[in-house]
Amino acid sequence: MPRSLSGRLLVTASLALLVALAVAGLGIAHMLERFVTHGLDERLDAQIAVVARAVRPDGTIDRGVVVDVPPFDEAASGWAWELRGTRDLLRSASLGSADIVVRDRDRHGPPHFDPFGPDVGRPRPFDGRDPNGQGVHGRVLRLSTGRGAVTIIAVGPRAVVEQPLRAALLPLLGSLLLLGAALAIAILVQLRFGLRPLATVRTMVDEVRNGKRRHLDATEPTELLPLVAALNTLIDTNQIALAQARGHVANLAHGLKTPLAALRLDLAAPGCDPGGRLTAQVERIDRHIRHHLGRARAATPAGVAGAETSIGAHVDDLVAALGRIHADRPVRPIVAIPDDLAVCCDPQDLDEMLGNLLDNGWRWARNTLHVSAERVGAMTRIRIADDGPGLPAGDLEHVLQPGVRLDERGDGHGFGLSITRELAELYGGQLELGVGSAGGVVATIVLPAS
Amino acid sequence: MRVLVVEDDPALADGIARALRAEHFAVDVATNGEDGGHLGATEAYDVAVLDLGLPRRDGLSVLAEWRAGGRTLPVLILTARDAWTDKVLGFKAGADDYLVKPFRVEELVMRLRALVRRAAGHAASVIRAGALAFDAQTGQFEYEGLPLRLTAFEWRVLSCLMLRKGVVIERLDLLERVYEGDSDVDSNSLEVIVGRLRRKIGAGAIETVRGRGYRLVDLRCG
Repeated sequence: MPRSLSGRLLVTASLALLVALAVAGLGIAHMLERFVTHGLDERLDAQIAVVARAVRPDGTIDRGVVVDVPPFDEAASGWAWELRGTRDLLRSASLGSADIVVRDRDRHGPPHFDPFGPDVGRPRPFDGRDPNGQGVHGRVLRLSTGRGAVTIIAVGPRAVVEQPLRAALLPLLGSLLLLGAALAIAILVQLRFGLRPLATVRTMVDEVRNGKRRHLDATEPTELLPLVAALNTLIDTNQIALAQARGHVANLAHGLKTPLAALRLDLAAPGCDPGGRLTAQVERIDRHIRHHLGRARAATPAGVAGAETSIGAHVDDLVAALGRIHADRPVRPIVAIPDDLAVCCDPQDLDEMLGNLLDNGWRWARNTLHVSAERVGAMTRIRIADDGPGLPAGDLEHVLQPGVRLDERGDGHGFGLSITRELAELYGGQLELGVGSAGGVVATIVLPAS
Repeated sequence: MRVLVVEDDPALADGIARALRAEHFAVDVATNGEDGGHLGATEAYDVAVLDLGLPRRDGLSVLAEWRAGGRTLPVLILTARDAWTDKVLGFKAGADDYLVKPFRVEELVMRLRALVRRAAGHAASVIRAGALAFDAQTGQFEYEGLPLRLTAFEWRVLSCLMLRKGVVIERLDLLERVYEGDSDVDSNSLEVIVGRLRRKIGAGAIETVRGRGYRLVDLRCG
């Protein structure tokens, strides 16, 4: 059995079609044969009736009554009749002196059926050969008389039946083939049309995976609705489980941070940690927590959230926040982002990526920070350029590694860029660092456009 | 300078209070959102340190209520939530700064000083009045180019006068910013502190405005 649904349907439909066509062909041929044979039988029966008039009720034969009409008088025509009594034997002129037939019992009826059996009051059919070897169809009538049984046989050439049959079967076969072809095309059309909703559902599942939609959305066909509902429930359950897992990680991390902050404060007291070893350990724990919290956030399977997030609004909020965080660094942000530009990305993830990049830019900029965005095909490029001292080429790749920080000022913790890159790649985008024409660092993040 | 610390973890609240007092700040601690919200709404503070995950009331709603009620005191959010979305939400609720736990205590002190300085309208970190200079970043006073040694109370009074130099500061207002919430205030002690300050920076530097309060005279201007 084929593995595909359309393969299965195609195979079963084709088999059914072949069987139906074969049955129809055989049935029609059989009907036709019976119809044509019936015509021959009537003609033979008429001849038998004519011959039977010669048999008197007492079993004697009145030879004068029997007339030999064409075509029964033509020799070797295949048409012949014979009357056999206990003492008499009458034959058509076509037979001459030969016996009428060689019985050919295989062709008609089961072997035990004997057309020359007892009198049943009406002629019975049989098939055989005439003395010339020509195939004939015949009728037999048994009459019981006072002088014993009388058998009247009439035969006609089987060609009379077979010729019109052949003539009719050829066009019949042609029509059946045409019908089969038409039905095969109909099956193919039906398969494509009938199975199209399956392809639609698959496309929608892909879109859910890519974050283009949140749920499957189908109102027909009714057969697929339970499946669509089940898939939607699965998506919801998945999302809830994911949110819970993220919540647990966040709770764990946040729960650890407060005692860690208290510990760090205690260690900062004079004489508490002379070598700074304990503080270094606390900072190490803190780095691990931040790293894994960041990764737990980044581990969102792309697009499960499936949101359309406006870039401009988020950049504005972040710029306002950063203006306060770095209130003593008089950096002027210049934002040029079209209002309608949006990315296919969870809003929190976008905040995380842009926040890290903008924060970085803010720390390095001298006077201005340029933020722009444009759509390039299916992607959106967001460019954040500072006018700071820039970075040597070797450091550009280096700073994307987790835990590396070149900036020892402030509270940067060195995971921003690596988490940003991980997030961007998770969404099928990328993060590039370069040096701008003015010498500052240019961070370009590419994300799928919505 | 008087600071309100709203933090539910007792160990951390104690640590912060200790560290800030060592830097001469007057510190009031609230360990839940309700008490913190009430204190911030009714008492005079120069700056507040606000945790977000608080029992009884969430820090963000406390902050939003202060702002809705017209309280303009600078607020630094001190929280374990380090996502940028949380930071944006904090600033939208009216925060002035945001620090993520765990933190370096010097960072917290520096940021609080900067918030107070900016709230008083000073863009530069060093404020001068005649021979007196106050580095609002380090909290150090200099008089005639030499470091000035001050007690915590003297520092609180002088920094308060310095940040609003040339302006008359009401006695009650000054008292509120010098004494912690649960201390017994002896109103005469303010005169004693001012007297000691006058001995250190010159008798004419602090002017008594009868029936109202005190004013730091900016000698270059006045």
